[in-house]
Amino acid sequence: MNFTLNVWRQKNGQSSGQFVTYQAKDISPDASFLEMLDVVNNEMEAKGEEPIAFDHDCREGICGTCGIAINGRPHGPRNAVTTCQLYMRNFRDGDTLTLEPWRAQAFPVVRDLVVDRSAFDKIIQAGGFISINTGNAPDANGLPVPKDDAERAMDAAACIGCGACVAACKNASAMLFVSAKVSHLALLPQGQPESRKRVKSMVQTMDEAGFGNCTNTGACEAECPKSISLDNIARLNREFLLSKLFG
Amino acid sequence: MATTSSPKPSVGGSGMNSILKKTLVALTGLALIGFLVTHLAGNLFLFGGSTAFDGYAARLEAMGPLLIVAEIGLAAIFVAHVVMAIKLTVENKAARGPQGYAVNDNQSEAPSRFMIVSGVLVALFVILHVKGFKFGPREEFGGSLYALVMNEFANPGVAIFYIFSMLILGTHLTHGFWSLFQTLGLIKPEKRRKVKQICTVLGWGIALGFLVLPLFGLLSGKKRTPLPDGVKELIQKTEAVR
Ligand code: SF4
Ligand code: FES
Repeated sequence: MNFTLNVWRQKNGQSSGQFVTYQAKDISPDASFLEMLDVVNNEMEAKGEEPIAFDHDCREGICGTCGIAINGRPHGPRNAVTTCQLYMRNFRDGDTLTLEPWRAQAFPVVRDLVVDRSAFDKIIQAGGFISINTGNAPDANGLPVPKDDAERAMDAAACIGCGACVAACKNASAMLFVSAKVSHLALLPQGQPESRKRVKSMVQTMDEAGFGNCTNTGACEAECPKSISLDNIARLNREFLLSKLFG
Repeated sequence: MATTSSPKPSVGGSGMNSILKKTLVALTGLALIGFLVTHLAGNLFLFGGSTAFDGYAARLEAMGPLLIVAEIGLAAIFVAHVVMAIKLTVENKAARGPQGYAVNDNQSEAPSRFMIVSGVLVALFVILHVKGFKFGPREEFGGSLYALVMNEFANPGVAIFYIFSMLILGTHLTHGFWSLFQTLGLIKPEKRRKVKQICTVLGWGIALGFLVLPLFGLLSGKKRTPLPDGVKELIQKTEAVR
């Protein structure tokens, strides 16, 4: 398969970037999107050119490191997959693909398609954990958790922190990410002791990082590779307002 | 666990946190929907002719200072809703950063993306509507609000403007109605889809309910009915009390 790539090239955070066009030739339909970029980069390196910088790590859809906006959609045209799990057979031979980094004030471009997502780390550091002493491993049924709650907590915990929700949102809001992180703890008994403090602290950190205000458009849910539901945002709002009302 | 850094100003530097700002938009939005429902209920008297409609108007106006207080409150809620929504929009534009997407294939539903556009159009409509009817030339029609309204609606330009505005209101409510419950955390997260469906139906019910009024006026043609005697007496009585 052959593709024309319109790639955003930018030296660093200070310089301004621009699109550069490349040809990706003889690509296997079974190549992943990142493998396709590897092929292009190898050719460029052989010619002594600077390869396209992009983020990746596990390449199996579980770490949340990869992320490219492809033809205006974070992680590309398929639903519920990461960029690394997107395959070239999902495109048509001869397609022109526009590759851009996540665009958000809170995610400054580091280089080419790589952005700095440490704002997410700051949000987690503000409360996305449990610091109570849980003692030894309890009896299996010592702490009953309703099945539905366990399921919802697990669904929320599936968030890999990739930032596609922010990239997709017209407001560059991080609410889907924060709501997933607040929800998976709020739904379980271990998360209860610190729940009020946690939600306030995480929302405050989110606002300070320069993310926009959520207006419930749902673009995040549509692009999330882990199908994190907007239900979590409803839960986050509820948790937050309760924490404001009752301390 | 709690951050020790002193709180920096949040997005846009208002010092008010993002969820509280949205809560204000949601609460004022809910109040405005409440107003729309009562306003629509009252307006249905239009179908009852001059006796019913002018009688209703006279009874409302007989409330005197109470009505004025309610009107000022409503105007304040309206202004708060608009001002906060504009503020959020400005902040949200800034949150994208200096460089936007060259290609953007946003997957959200269109009404949710154009709330500021539909909102501004509805606000302009409200201004013209209040100017034309509440502060309209009622004396020209012998003091009959019914005659004033019906004559305005008989004018195709006015009727089409009203009908168009109500369609815009419908799209605004399509997103705004359910979205406010999401923001207020009033719905059980699991009930979100149901609430969205119900709110969409109710929202369009309100918009289309208003829409039939100009349509009715347009189809009825011009009417110059003098104020019915009963209503005239009611107005005189109110004035005597004042
Ligand atoms: S909510 Fe989804 S899109 Fe957002 S960071 Fe988590 S996995 Fe990525
Ligand atoms: S590289 Fe780990 S999720 Fe894509």
